[in-house]
Amino acid sequence: MRALVVGGGLVGSTLAARLSRDQHDVVIVESDRERLQGLAEDLDVQVVSGNGTSVEVLRSAGIGECDALFACTASDEANMVVALVGSALFKVPRVVARLRDRDHEASFRAIAQRLTGEHVCINPDQAAVEKIMSLLPVPGATDVVSFLDGRLIIAGFPIPAGSDFEGLLLSHLRLLFPSPPVLAVAIRRGDHSFVPHGEDEFHAGDLAYFAVDPQELDNVLRLLGVRRSSEERVMIAGASRIGLEVAHRLEAANVAVTLFEDDVGVAEEAAAQLKRTVVVRALATDRDVLEEEGIERAAAFVACTDDSSLNVMAGLLARRLGAARAFSLVDNPALTRMVGELGIDAVVSPRLLTVGLAVQFVRRGRVRAAAALMEDLVELVEIEVESGSRLVGPRLAELGLPRGTLVAALLRGKSLIVPVGGDRILVGDRALLITTTSRAGELDAFVGGQ
Amino acid sequence: MNRRFDVHLLGWLLLLTAAFLVVPLVAAVAFRDAPGPFLSALLLAALAGGGLVFLTRTSERGLRARDGFLVVSGAWLITSAVGALPYLLGGVLGPADALFESVSGFTTTGSTVIADVTALPRSLLLWRAMTQWLGGMGIILFTIAILPLLGIGGMQLFKAEVPGPVADKIRPRLAATARTLWGLYVGFTAAQWVLLMLCGLNWFEALCHAFTTLATGGFSTRNGSVGEFASPAVEWVVIVFMLAAGINFVLHYKLLTGRWRDVLRDVELRYFLAIVTAAAALLFVVLWDGVAGMHETARAALFQAASIITTTGFVSADFELWPHAAQFVLVALMLIGGMSGSTGGGPKSLRIVLALRSLRATVHRFIHPHAVVPVKYHGQVVGDGVLSGVAAFLTAYFLLAGAAAAVVAAAGYDFATAVSSALTAIGNVGPGLGAVGALDNFAHFPSPVKLVLSACMLLGRLEIFTILVLFSRRFWKH
Repeated sequence: MRALVVGGGLVGSTLAARLSRDQHDVVIVESDRERLQGLAEDLDVQVVSGNGTSVEVLRSAGIGECDALFACTASDEANMVVALVGSALFKVPRVVARLRDRDHEASFRAIAQRLTGEHVCINPDQAAVEKIMSLLPVPGATDVVSFLDGRLIIAGFPIPAGSDFEGLLLSHLRLLFPSPPVLAVAIRRGDHSFVPHGEDEFHAGDLAYFAVDPQELDNVLRLLGVRRSSEERVMIAGASRIGLEVAHRLEAANVAVTLFEDDVGVAEEAAAQLKRTVVVRALATDRDVLEEEGIERAAAFVACTDDSSLNVMAGLLARRLGAARAFSLVDNPALTRMVGELGIDAVVSPRLLTVGLAVQFVRRGRVRAAAALMEDLVELVEIEVESGSRLVGPRLAELGLPRGTLVAALLRGKSLIVPVGGDRILVGDRALLITTTSRAGELDAFVGGQ
Repeated sequence: MNRRFDVHLLGWLLLLTAAFLVVPLVAAVAFRDAPGPFLSALLLAALAGGGLVFLTRTSERGLRARDGFLVVSGAWLITSAVGALPYLLGGVLGPADALFESVSGFTTTGSTVIADVTALPRSLLLWRAMTQWLGGMGIILFTIAILPLLGIGGMQLFKAEVPGPVADKIRPRLAATARTLWGLYVGFTAAQWVLLMLCGLNWFEALCHAFTTLATGGFSTRNGSVGEFASPAVEWVVIVFMLAAGINFVLHYKLLTGRWRDVLRDVELRYFLAIVTAAAALLFVVLWDGVAGMHETARAALFQAASIITTTGFVSADFELWPHAAQFVLVALMLIGGMSGSTGGGPKSLRIVLALRSLRATVHRFIHPHAVVPVKYHGQVVGDGVLSGVAAFLTAYFLLAGAAAAVVAAAGYDFATAVSSALTAIGNVGPGLGAVGALDNFAHFPSPVKLVLSACMLLGRLEIFTILVLFSRRFWKH
């Protein structure tokens, strides 16, 4: 596939790196010469210098031949222009626009309806909100993704020393959770990440991702030694777009919320918008205020100011002061990798989420949902099995799936099946496949080759 | 730096060179020449390469800019050394001579130490032409095209080998870019091969000359170079393909993909063609005595102008006998060279264009001290980084040429020989003036001079800095 990425910032460059690694041909358009130089040296992509909103520049970047267009400059307006030009003038079959403003999004959707091709807008803030909202109900989890219409969640937990999981053979999980089964789909041990099989065992300190039926979650949590906090209050630092949206959603779910905001104007505006939320005018790292507001009883502390470093500091402080969990919004990739080791429970990166969503979109139409775990090392793909698919027919063990690929679950009608080697996939099933990212291309080819 | 992986890559390059040696080996068997020298060279390269690849098989992948310089310089040295083995093992040349001939081959210089090439076995002539052909488009580029292990970091190698101040990809992927460029190169070579055969050359001589024309190399299978065929048709074919090889291959690609407007608008191409035309016209004016045929003189003028500016170095007439003014024109052409991104050598016409424009801007600033005077190329402002790179390159180029000329002069040669042999080596041209003129060879130089000139050829082919940085102490400090 040939992909055109307009805008070589963090999102653009990360996206280009992903696409290039997945064997796609990538062209990046960027106006900043120095940034462009860096991209040309670091990535195996073609770079075109110029303003992406110019038709001439887009043409010279080969927009006519590209299969997917990603508009991800820092400006919503520019992204709309690029996406619409690509769609209307050049009939690009798949177009992704990164739009942060809700109104822009609505206008774009309205126009896009009249155009041919597939369109999607990705809102980084919205993606972050969704991520936070999926993390909140699963205590102890560092990451949560839901699949198969919410019938299955994939959640990552650190394996504590002395818990029942330490030293447990993976194949014995079936004995612990006979029905519905719980499956470990990915493990990170130190710097090494892998899709495990039955003979692997859990070590203390592992980060293990489980595929769990949400109804079974409490049993898993019990074995992990994680207790649900009796308190429900969630504290949010920063009345940013993300902070406000999370507060709104929590209010709607009857969760008590405290919102910290330093800026007077922003704090007053937030207080005016929200109903029951306690809006406190204070810096997210103000220890006295946090204690005064009862941080030690908070079920979760979400640091989502516009400043990544501040979010890390605030999250660490909140944990130190007794908050049950702390999430921090961090966009700086160098920080993202480090923060988990520091003691923050989960790191949410709007930009990386955007990249993940954009990549999922360009994968084949059969893919209903997809997600990447552990900094992109493991990939989950949900597909609808159509007649003629190579997945249908033989037993799973004889299917010849690419190495390191696992069929985690099947949704057949209303029943959730965690298959074993002897099971077969039927037409109409929805299957959740897991693979290491380096093999994602092979899996795509396997699933796509009908 | 990732030295283990650097060594791993060099191991692969040795294996690749061994694979190249299969061609002359097969030819030797077919022509009933002695296959021994090729076989021994092949086995030596294969064993050494295989050993290095095996020993470093666990190395981590990935290259930084510094690795690029090291790998590319190392690759060219190693390939040149292996390329010298057939001459040496065949008893044709001594060590210094063999190395000189091999370096002159791979760098597409075309200077030779062999007085009578017709006495060489045909398989060795083929190898000699092949070294130029491989070196023309570049062995690293070839490696990138066929070996997938250079994916990331390959850009470092690409930049270190491709001639010109800026290296651009024409396809999103480096491997695809390399394959496209090599594809064009092979296509041109095949076309010229066929045309030369149609002009009456036998398939072997046609192939050897196609190899050395597209590479802008200049090795011939005749002592009297292309002139010995005494065929106007052959000369015209060679003129056309020399010029094609001296043009940026990106422009050929654009032409083939229908973007001829971009090609017509290309400033460097206009300069290049204007210089060729002007030089040929000047030569014609100087050479025409009113007696010889007009077409004859015009062809000789154009042939030599094209041959020298593209740094091919073929000879169709003994320009030693030409008036001094004509010889001066040829030396001036050596100082310009082919286009960037071509297989030609020399400083490259793009650098000359940029240098002239920045000269004009400097003069302008003297007249209007407060004026903002950007240097533009294709309507865009050229960054200071590029301009100072050009200035540094030209400085280094001429310093190096001066030093090499001094070495030749110290060995007891006259001024014209010293200067022209230095310029012809560093510019990868081939013939010079004086004792290294059109129909002379380089055998009479003492060994140290041959080694200095060989070094100049490598420095010239890799555009100086790729090798020069290796001599910086800071390069080796992690």
